[in-house]
Amino acid sequence: MNRSMRATGGRRTNDDDRILPLINVVFLLLIFFMLAGHLAATDPFHVEPPVSASETEPGDMGHVILVGTDGRVAFDGQVIDDAGLKAALAGAAEAGVSDFRLKADSTAPAVRLVEIMELMRAAGVEKVHVLTVPKAL
Amino acid sequence: MSAIPTTRPSLAPRNKARRNLISLTPLIDVVFILLVFFMLASSFLEWRSISLDAPKKTAAAPSLERAVLVEVRDDGLRLGGEMMSIDRVVQRAAAALQKKPDRPVLIRPDDEVPVQDVVMVLDALSAGGVANLSLIRRKP
Repeated sequence: MNRSMRATGGRRTNDDDRILPLINVVFLLLIFFMLAGHLAATDPFHVEPPVSASETEPGDMGHVILVGTDGRVAFDGQVIDDAGLKAALAGAAEAGVSDFRLKADSTAPAVRLVEIMELMRAAGVEKVHVLTVPKAL
Repeated sequence: MSAIPTTRPSLAPRNKARRNLISLTPLIDVVFILLVFFMLASSFLEWRSISLDAPKKTAAAPSLERAVLVEVRDDGLRLGGEMMSIDRVVQRAAAALQKKPDRPVLIRPDDEVPVQDVVMVLDALSAGGVANLSLIRRKP
């Protein structure tokens, strides 16, 4: 029984044969993660996006404004204050960018979101895209 | 080769001498490192977006007058000074828009209301056919 379970069944079993199934599985996992996931830059702080039933795809991510659960703000991966955000938005608007994504934590105060939208409006941005995730199945 | 039991299917009836030429251990090392990298670096989130009009700060008075104002509070939703359920709010907003389709619908969250609650209201209103959505806040 024990002999027949071996990869080659003989005394000359080498290490390679015993780890072949392991490599197979690891290769499959590797291919799965390479194809199914997509690489993205890590956010400077953790943001748990709100769940929505929206079916609209956000398209190109472009400039992303992060809003943390405590109201902290980051613009394109850099944590900044409101004055900094205002300057960054003005700079981006001057460069002709009017497409911003707002990635807010689901537990952040909504009033904070409105404050940031007002800053965006002041910089000349008219449309805001709030990023959400679909409901888990 | 005759030592291999014939009853067991073998996927790799290969030449043993050749197999030993290349050790698999360095390969597995690299593959493991790649695997760990992809597991940690990949993100599986499928993003969706909700489009809103940025709130207007100036000249708000005329647009506010003809707007539908939905207040999101800790204890529920309020429209026209009346507390009501989400379905009712959507119904009322849709009815108001039928008469004047260009009326904006403003959503005003209270201080402690989380983003998730507002997104839920936005979702319901979008599903009810409201397109001209905007968020506002109480003047400080």
